[in-house]
Amino acid sequence: MSAIRTAAMPALARVPGVAIVLVVLLVLFGLTGPRFLTAANIANILIQSTVLILLALPMTLIVMTEGLDLSIGAVLTLGSIALAMTVIATGSPALGVIAGLAVGLGFGIANGALVALLRIPPFIATLGTLGIAQGLCLVVTDGQSVVGIPAAIERVYSGTLLAVPLPIVIAAVAYAAVHLLLYRTRFGTAVFALGGNREALRLAGVPDRLMLIAVYALGGLMAGFGALLMTARMNAAHPTAGIGLEFDAIAAVAVGGTSFERGNGWLLGTLLGVIAVGVLRNGLNLLAVPSSAQVACIGALVILALFIDAVRSRP
Amino acid sequence: MIADAPPTAPLFALRGICKQFPGVRALDDVSFEIRAGETHMLLGENGAGKSTLMKILCGAYRADAGAFLANGEPVQMTAPADARKLGIAVIFQEFTLVPYLDIAHNIFLGREFASRIPGLIDRDRLYREARRVLDAIGFAIDPREPVHRLGVAQQQMVEIAKALSQEARILVMDEPTAALSERETERLFAMIARLKAQGVAIVYISHRLAEVFALGDRITVLRDGRKVASVMARETTPDGLVRMMVGRAVDTTYGRHFCERPGKVALEVKNLSADTGIADVSLTVRAGEIVGLAGLVGSGRSEVVRAIFGADRVTAGEIRLFGAPLGGTPEDSARRGMALIPENRKQQGLALGRSVGDNIVLAGLPRMFPSGLFFPQRALAAARAMIDRLRVATPSARRTVAFLSGGNQQKVVVGKWLNADARFFIFDEPTRGIDIGAKAEIFKLIDELAASGAAVLMVSSEQTEIVHVCDRAYVMRAGRIVGELARDELSEANIVRLGMHQ
Repeated sequence: MSAIRTAAMPALARVPGVAIVLVVLLVLFGLTGPRFLTAANIANILIQSTVLILLALPMTLIVMTEGLDLSIGAVLTLGSIALAMTVIATGSPALGVIAGLAVGLGFGIANGALVALLRIPPFIATLGTLGIAQGLCLVVTDGQSVVGIPAAIERVYSGTLLAVPLPIVIAAVAYAAVHLLLYRTRFGTAVFALGGNREALRLAGVPDRLMLIAVYALGGLMAGFGALLMTARMNAAHPTAGIGLEFDAIAAVAVGGTSFERGNGWLLGTLLGVIAVGVLRNGLNLLAVPSSAQVACIGALVILALFIDAVRSRP
Repeated sequence: MIADAPPTAPLFALRGICKQFPGVRALDDVSFEIRAGETHMLLGENGAGKSTLMKILCGAYRADAGAFLANGEPVQMTAPADARKLGIAVIFQEFTLVPYLDIAHNIFLGREFASRIPGLIDRDRLYREARRVLDAIGFAIDPREPVHRLGVAQQQMVEIAKALSQEARILVMDEPTAALSERETERLFAMIARLKAQGVAIVYISHRLAEVFALGDRITVLRDGRKVASVMARETTPDGLVRMMVGRAVDTTYGRHFCERPGKVALEVKNLSADTGIADVSLTVRAGEIVGLAGLVGSGRSEVVRAIFGADRVTAGEIRLFGAPLGGTPEDSARRGMALIPENRKQQGLALGRSVGDNIVLAGLPRMFPSGLFFPQRALAAARAMIDRLRVATPSARRTVAFLSGGNQQKVVVGKWLNADARFFIFDEPTRGIDIGAKAEIFKLIDELAASGAAVLMVSSEQTEIVHVCDRAYVMRAGRIVGELARDELSEANIVRLGMHQ
């Protein structure tokens, strides 16, 4: 295990709260019926979590800089619409994907510029871009779903690589990439410093504002990839598909033990947090709990995980 | 024949440096030289311009006017990168360390070694080089240890390692011993000697005259943004330096009116123990007395006053204030007339962004406005009366506290508690970060509190302060009180003897 990762773990010898929460959830839902703990259902949970993983990974980095990105779900939706419309207009899946990524990256850079250059608090800046992106979604689609997407896009979700479902492959590659980025590159070191001691970074001659923009740009870019997965999964672009995704992403980061101060973050915790959120949603679905009530349960999950960590970190 | 630079050409020199901030001339025509293998002490009261000078030295501020010479050659100094190129490294009081990165990553922050795989850091080399730098300063610690787990002295070692890893030839240190224990201070001094021997130039900022003479080769005194003088340490005396710093002679005996007839017992502590490492602590403080709590850093002094005030949970023992048992919560202690004036004024004692007046009335609000309705004019009048009484140097009661000097901020904290009718005062390191002129003012204030019948318990790491200010003192070691010194036994030697192992 890498040294900084050890460093970022909430407690070395103790099992983090998110792992306990995850085990408890698996046991609880396993007890409710035979349909939950099946290989097919577990695979289903993982595949359904892939969009959230793409968002929660960069969200971890953003939170580590003592920031937040509320726009990430709306940007994903807009990217999905851009992808769908471009594919339909040009017939080229590649152009569609590029359009989706460009929308994501553009909004990410805009978020980063608002936060880093204009010094607008991240909550306000990304609330603004959330409104803009969500509004654009509804305007360009007239509130209607964009359908008639060629099958090539859909195969990104249903296809497999060496028998592994493609969404899992994409999420695994994304995780590995962000892991390397955070723990093995100068950019990653800068992420720790942006939240932990920005002055130190500045004095070290690192362009701190550029790094901060890059953090948000990464979030936008990953939302662009999320748009691809989302569009492929639904075989359409729905103007409201991404609403609330930012909530799940921030919840997963918090459940995973990344604290919102001093640059203390843990990427593996976020991955476990995403799975915990996915397990919770899936289990509640099987129990026929309505989606609105699931949000309340995710909220409770966040508080529970942080409560466990807080209780055990007491001397 | 070519005219060589004189053999004593300074490593680095500043000539006529000026720096203006809105409304303040922070530096005015300051010149100053740094020589290899020499410790250059920088002295001055708070606000004299030391911090500004440091920020200019490290390239964080840009000078409005003036020149910089490296080995006699004019050089650029406009960005942190310029300072690094010239081999200047600054160790600030507030460390520039990233808490959740490990030691090695902190040492090489912004200068990480590139791996053969493009974009990645060569971690083997990172840890190897970190080990080498840490060994060079004799710091035996795993470079993979995250910085947030280290103590202050260890973090300072990491800062020094970081500076030296940049091949720094000029090391600037801002009050490096402020948070160190005596043993850690000795270790630091030994390291400074080692660095000097290697030809490193040290610029050392300090308030402590003892340090100035223990370390300094050359001393520069700043006052109000101007250089008063640069002198060789062996050619000056402490009194001479103090006169230069404040522009007048300061009485270091603080003119105490020692308490001849202590009043009733104000505070009685019996066999107090707490989870924070203190055990079986008993002490009494009478009205009109100033009682010192001495001992090394880490001996449990702050823990004792925190436990008395109710800030930490007490596991055993009894605390009586003015004859009645204390409830064990800060709210109860404050309501009963006890005031804790913490070491960290800025974080614990003041609402920095609010006005002087707001801060003064804060703790007295329930007493002044029992109906719950607030009358601004009455609050302002009370605040102004307190400002006059304590001689707080502020243009008005509406001035934001953050703009006041350390000594005046301390007065505001005291005024806040006086306004809340406090009669028992606990001062935890009342002069930390306060310049020498303001120290006398603070002690005068504490003396007046005692003379007016209040009881005072004072924690201080500066033995001279305990000796000159206190009527009596308790000495702590390893969480226990190991002795009590009456007025006639109170000396630095006795405190040190009790505070260390025999």
